[in-house]
Amino acid sequence: MSLISIDFALFVCLALLIYFAVPKKFRWIVLLVASYAFYAQSGTENLIYIAVTTVSAYICAFLIEKKKEGMDAYLHDKGADISKEEKKAYKAGVKKRQKLILIAGLLLNFGILAYLKYANITIAYINLFRLTHYGRTDFIPFRDFLLPLGISFYTFQTMGYLIDIYYGKYGRERNFFKFALYVSFFPQVVQGPISRFGQIASQLYEGADFDFARLKSGFYRIMWGLFKKLVIADRLAGFVSETMAQKDAYRGFYIVIAIFAYSMQIYGDFSGGIDVALGVAEMFGIKLPENFERPFFSKSISEYWQRWHITLGTWFKDYIFYPLSLNKGIIKLGRIAREQKMTALGKRIPIYVPMLFVWTLTGMWHGSESRYVVWGLFNFVFIVLGTELEPLSKKITAKLTLVESDFVMRAYRAGKTFWLMSFLRLFDINRDVKDAFTAFSYVFQGWGHFDINRIFENLSLPMEEMIVAAIAIVIMFIVDLIQRRGSVRAKIFALPVPVQWCFLSLLVLAVSVFGYYGPGFDAASFIYGAF
Amino acid sequence: MDRIIEILKAVHPEVDYETETGLIDKRIFDSFDVVTIVGELMDEFDIEITAEHMIPENFNSAEAIAELVRTLEEE
Repeated sequence: MSLISIDFALFVCLALLIYFAVPKKFRWIVLLVASYAFYAQSGTENLIYIAVTTVSAYICAFLIEKKKEGMDAYLHDKGADISKEEKKAYKAGVKKRQKLILIAGLLLNFGILAYLKYANITIAYINLFRLTHYGRTDFIPFRDFLLPLGISFYTFQTMGYLIDIYYGKYGRERNFFKFALYVSFFPQVVQGPISRFGQIASQLYEGADFDFARLKSGFYRIMWGLFKKLVIADRLAGFVSETMAQKDAYRGFYIVIAIFAYSMQIYGDFSGGIDVALGVAEMFGIKLPENFERPFFSKSISEYWQRWHITLGTWFKDYIFYPLSLNKGIIKLGRIAREQKMTALGKRIPIYVPMLFVWTLTGMWHGSESRYVVWGLFNFVFIVLGTELEPLSKKITAKLTLVESDFVMRAYRAGKTFWLMSFLRLFDINRDVKDAFTAFSYVFQGWGHFDINRIFENLSLPMEEMIVAAIAIVIMFIVDLIQRRGSVRAKIFALPVPVQWCFLSLLVLAVSVFGYYGPGFDAASFIYGAF
Repeated sequence: MDRIIEILKAVHPEVDYETETGLIDKRIFDSFDVVTIVGELMDEFDIEITAEHMIPENFNSAEAIAELVRTLEEE
């Protein structure tokens, strides 16, 4: 069941009805049943994977905490009789055993994820290697499975929880079924956001009171998400893929427009989907963490990554970057470099080495093909360049007596970041690395032959569709601009009630009339055609 | 405390560490600064700072950093 379907809308309505009908202390059970019903819709065989993750994380958390309880009891009884050194050694021994349990949990769960994600691409590489080097055509058959719904998201979320338990950030959830809800909460299981246990646990379990204002606010957010997804993203999808498929014939400006369109498409698609997830959760009284903070207004690539897919970025920061960066070996490496009079290098090692690792993994997270790793490495290189060139950039700005806070400078920096990130997305919309570079080289060719009618006629974006998309993008931009000064919904809700309903009606109307429901969706083309 | 402020000054000399309480929240320190500072603190005070301590509250002010160091020294 897609988050964007009539079925899902009915499902949410039914879940809301039951949620508020049962006593408060049972409301979390409604969420759990709804989450598992939703998940089972994606294929009952998928339940086994999420169940393994839930059970294994529950057991590991139990064992880790048990070791801590044992340690506390021991130190309570014997603490006064043993020396400080003995105490330290005892604690280190317990920590080591806890670490082993943690590693077992991580290996199992990331192992499942890696197997499901990379088994077939690995087989493909092995087959290719055998064919080219030994001429063997007895190919290893591909494994026949589909990725279980949201596996990357719930695996990351659950392993984050396990690592937090290991670090003692909070106590584990003792109720297995409550824990199962945290892993599977249906609005976020499909594509995030990746929540931390501390952020949402009490909201999930305590049950919310009925609040019409909150329902309305959630509904607004869902409609805004649908607007971004259906009016912008889905409308542009065909044009982007057509242009990339026929890029030999459509070079220069066509490619640039397609790159721009893809940035709008992916933002509308992803942030729109997140809006739907957050809006649905809000209706149940649960505030999920934000995943986007107007990323296209970022002045640098590192800032962009603090504002785009925020919950994945902070996950990598907390669970990969810092543990590596604070690792004694890496710090020692940095110190050795400093002692060898390579101060600059020494300072950078504890930062850049973990960062390189994080970006390789971020690339792999996005997809199993090598182009995603290359994409990740480009991000790494751009961030390093941005950091290293900052002093030079500051000098130039000062020399030209430009002021960073001026509108022109901010627009320049945001524009530069936007286009760098957009060009990198060529790895996303092309089949492989070579293809992406070819597309990039085409940006600089064929500028003399631009004819907008060819887009209308040959590239799945007729003139009226392009006009709708352009207007919708401008609206999205304006809303993002307003959002810089606080929540847009809060501003709307401060207006007189009839005006509020006017806005909502317009939004619903825009989604129903201008939503791109794809070819073969007769109702959509009919409504649209009538205008 | 003086030694801690010395370490912080080496990274961002322009900040008034006696009064500033939003080193992380106001993005005065980025991840790079924090990691550099942490490396220095571990060296200077022979303590082990791990990812669990990498929360904004521990680094928002010189006082909070001093408190973190005190706690870790006692462990």
